[in-house]
Amino acid sequence: MINKNFLRLPVLVAALAIASVAVAGDSPQKARHELMEGVLKAAKVVGPMLKGEAEYDNAAAMKSLATWQSAAAEFGDLFPEGSDTGEDTEAAPAIWEDRAGFDAALVAWSDAIDVAIAANPATLDDAKPVIGPVFGKCKDCHDGYRIEKE
Amino acid sequence: MRRIVVALLLLGFMAAWWVTAPSGFSELEPPGHTPDAVAGERVFWAGGCASCHATPVNGKRAKGADKLVLGGGMELESPYGVFRVPNISPHADGIGGWSMLEFVNAMQHGVSPAGKHYYPSFPYTSYARAAATDVMDLKAYLDTLPAIAGGPGDHSLSFPWSIRRGIGAWKRLYLDAAPVQASMAEDPLVERGRELVEGLGHCGECHTSRDRFGGLLKDRWLGGAASPEGKGRIPNITPGGENIASWTGSDIAYYLESGFTPEFDTVGGTMVAVQENMAHLTSADREAIAAYLKSVPAVD
Repeated sequence: MINKNFLRLPVLVAALAIASVAVAGDSPQKARHELMEGVLKAAKVVGPMLKGEAEYDNAAAMKSLATWQSAAAEFGDLFPEGSDTGEDTEAAPAIWEDRAGFDAALVAWSDAIDVAIAANPATLDDAKPVIGPVFGKCKDCHDGYRIEKE
Repeated sequence: MRRIVVALLLLGFMAAWWVTAPSGFSELEPPGHTPDAVAGERVFWAGGCASCHATPVNGKRAKGADKLVLGGGMELESPYGVFRVPNISPHADGIGGWSMLEFVNAMQHGVSPAGKHYYPSFPYTSYARAAATDVMDLKAYLDTLPAIAGGPGDHSLSFPWSIRRGIGAWKRLYLDAAPVQASMAEDPLVERGRELVEGLGHCGECHTSRDRFGGLLKDRWLGGAASPEGKGRIPNITPGGENIASWTGSDIAYYLESGFTPEFDTVGGTMVAVQENMAHLTSADREAIAAYLKSVPAVD
């Protein structure tokens, strides 16, 4: 038994090392881009429901809200000093010039998500007034903290 | 000989004076309209007044309730120089004390109460196509907003644009209250959309290319243009080109309501303020705008 565990340990260590290299290998620019891609993917599930193009589905909406909740928790840490340029980042200089404003915009998004999750909307009519504002916060933050690409 | 030259010069001067003379309505039409401030609020959002006239807050565009503080002060960079947006609040430094006729002439003829031309950075070239009753309603609404003292200095323009009187000649060439797309399907929705897009909404002012004198190229109507601020391009919003040709009418209406594209990206740049204004319209009006945009000739 002891031998077996000893054998397992190096495998575990190696696995952890590979995992951490993979994480550390991602620049903040890339990490936040990928996180945003996930946010967008979740938006593409709920957006058509709000727009009236897809049937409202509570479980799918809650899944998207959970994705955004964890993204909102991580996102703020992905803008360290020095990551304002490079890798085609769309982050605007305003994030570093007005960090408090950026953080407040993130909190506003996160708060809107929490409200929507707590509401657990059963129907589209219930969802619109609580998920609509979550979408609105995307727009508010992009307007000012994201640069416009052609 | 000398006398002839002097006479010719004098005639030329008189002709130029006549060509550039400011003129407007001499009476209100229709005379019996009772201005309605509630209807005027919708005109206010359709016309996008706040996007330029709301006083910036900490150097940024006004948001929320600050959009109703119309003390002016925004600076518009352009190839002709810097335009400084005036106060249009109901204060003596703004439009306080203006008669209804003076207001309509400002909005639809680009003539100030003092009888001077306004520069077409103020889009009276579009507002000229609005219903005069809408403009009267707008004044009734503006009169309910906070009175703000003060205002910015004059524009800083380069020669020859700095000669205000010259706008009189420009207006003879480019100020035309007739619809741009005169021959369209006789659908009430499309016609309402035309009123909003060509008139109050003044969409053509940014989305249409201009000739070297700043006149809109109507054969490229809404076909996109260089950004007046220098960088980037304002999209083509006709059914042609590669910007929104693939969008359905309901995509356009939803974008104007929510700020989200069909790909669920958010509205950006100077369009953010426009979209926020459009969100105040009725859904029927947003659908009308969409119906019109799907009906205009495609520009590639």
